[in-house]
Amino acid sequence: MTSRERVLAALAREPVDRTPACNPTSVATVELMDLVDARFPDANRNPELMARLAATSYTELGFDSIMPVFSIIQESSALGCNIQWEQKDNWPTVRMNEPIWKDIDDIKIPKDYLTHQDTKCVLDAIKILKKEYGDEVAIIGKTMGPWSLGYHCFGVEPFLLMSLDDPEKTKLALDRMKEATVQFGIAQIEAGADALTLPDHATGDLVSGDYYKHFLRDLHIELAERIPIPLIMHICGRTVDRMDYIAQTGFAAFHYDSKNQPDESMDVMKERISLVGNINNPETLFARGPDKVREEVYKNLDVGVQLVGPECAIPLQTSIENLKEIPRALCDWHKEHAATN
Amino acid sequence: MGEIVDIGRRIELVPMDPHGQDITIGLYCQELDEGPAFLVHTYSRFEGAQERISFVVDAMCVLGGMVLTQNGMLHFPCWQEHQMACKRVFLEACKLASSTIVEAPPLKILDKKTGLNITVISDKDGVYQVSAEGEGKDKEKRVAFIAGGLMKLGQMVEVKDTLDKIVFPCGDMHDEMLGLLLIRAPNVRAVLREQDMAASRGVLAAPSQQK
Repeated sequence: MTSRERVLAALAREPVDRTPACNPTSVATVELMDLVDARFPDANRNPELMARLAATSYTELGFDSIMPVFSIIQESSALGCNIQWEQKDNWPTVRMNEPIWKDIDDIKIPKDYLTHQDTKCVLDAIKILKKEYGDEVAIIGKTMGPWSLGYHCFGVEPFLLMSLDDPEKTKLALDRMKEATVQFGIAQIEAGADALTLPDHATGDLVSGDYYKHFLRDLHIELAERIPIPLIMHICGRTVDRMDYIAQTGFAAFHYDSKNQPDESMDVMKERISLVGNINNPETLFARGPDKVREEVYKNLDVGVQLVGPECAIPLQTSIENLKEIPRALCDWHKEHAATN
Repeated sequence: MGEIVDIGRRIELVPMDPHGQDITIGLYCQELDEGPAFLVHTYSRFEGAQERISFVVDAMCVLGGMVLTQNGMLHFPCWQEHQMACKRVFLEACKLASSTIVEAPPLKILDKKTGLNITVISDKDGVYQVSAEGEGKDKEKRVAFIAGGLMKLGQMVEVKDTLDKIVFPCGDMHDEMLGLLLIRAPNVRAVLREQDMAASRGVLAAPSQQK
C-alpha cells in the first residue's frame, strides 16, 4: 500500500498492511524549518514555504500524511480577526481580547474569504503538495469548526457566557459560522485534500459532554454530510464523556488527546469511528526520549487504534529523533506481531 | 535541501540564536567509548551558520573548560556528562556575539543583592569552598544560598556537614565551569524560571487556554 492508501483505508476502518503514522495536526519544528529554509511566521502565509515545511513530515520523518495547516488561525484571519504572527519559535495566535463580533448579526463571511492571503495560502499549498505527492501520501487539510471560530471571533469568555445566557442565540451563531467551515473545507477538497481535520475546541476543561450533545452533535452530523471527504474531528483534553456522541456524527475519525486512555477510548468508539493519536506532546514528545515515545505507540497499537500520531500540534522545539521514533516503532510493532503470528 | 543526521540525543536547544540570523542551534550528546561527548549542530545552511557553530564550540571550550575530540566533539576532561552544567555552558555561549573575545570567568563575583564579594576557592582535591567578604549582613546565609545555587546549576553535591563546601560528582576540578555557574548562582531561581519559560515557548494551546 502507498502511504495515501494506508491512511485512507484506516480512516474507513478497512484492512491495512500496517497502521499508518498520521499527523492530523502540525509536526513542524524549528529544526525542520532550518532544514528546508521555511520558517514561521512566513511558512504560515506563503504557500511555497508552507508546502515545503509540511512535506517534511513525509520526506524526513516518515509519516504517511502531510498536513500543511500548522496553525488554527488561517480562517479567523480571513474573517477579520487581529493576528499576532509571532516569530520563528512561536505560534501565531488570534488576539481574542480584541473580538470582531459582539452579536450574531455581526457574523458575516467576507466576500474575499477564500481569496484572502491566509486562506488562499492553504489552498495553494495543498495544490502544490497534491501535484508533488498526490498519489503517494495522504494530504490532510484543516477547517476550523464553528465553536472554535466563536472563541476567536467573539472571545472565549463572551462566547461561553452567551452559551449560558441564551442557548438558542448561540445555536444560531454556530449555524451562521458553520458556513465558513463548509466553504473552506470544500475549497480544500477542490485543491486536492484527501481528508480534513476539523478542530472544534469544545475542550474537556470548559465544555461538558452534555454541552457537546446540546450544541454540537447535530451540527457536526450536518458538517459530515455536507463536506464529502473523510473528516477527522479534533478536540483537546479529556473527552471520553462525549466520544459516544462524536461516534454518532459520521466523522471518519476522532483525533484524541493523551488525557484519554487508548483502551477506554476504543471501548467507547466500538469501531464506529477510527481513532487517531494520542502520543503525549508536552511530556513525552517534548521532554522525554524515544523509549517513552515507543511505549506510547505500542500502547495504542496493542488495543487496535487505527492511526497513530501526536495528540495535537507538537511543540516547535520537539526533537526530530522523537518524531522519527513514531513511524519506526509502528513498523517494529508490526514486525514483532507478524513474527509471533 | 538539508538532510537529517543521526547525531545523538538532543539535550538542549536554542530555537533562535540572537547572534546568528535566528538559526536554531542544538546540543546533542553521544556515548563514545571513553564517555559522553557533545556536538553543537544546526540544520541551517545560511551563510555564516557554520562559522557561528565554530564560535559556540570554541566559546564552550573556554567557558566550560571543555576539550575537543579529533572528530570535533566536545567533552569534559573527566569524561563525565555533567549535563545540567554542560547545558548552561552551551546556553551562555550562544548568548555571546561571535565578535566577543571569550574569557573564562574568575572564581569571584560581586553579589549585587548584598554587596558582598563572593569567592570560591578550590583545594585541589575537587572541593570548592564558597566564602564572602564585605560589610553585608547574613554572610553565612548568603554563602549557603550561593553554594546551593551552584549545586542546582551544576548538579554538584554538598560536602557532608558543611554549608559552604561543594564538589562535582566526578571529584575533579572544573574551575572554568564553576566560574561560569557562579555568575548565575545568586539568581538561581530566576535562571530556572527563565529555562522553564523558554521551554514552554512554542507550545500550542487550545483557544480556551490562550491568554
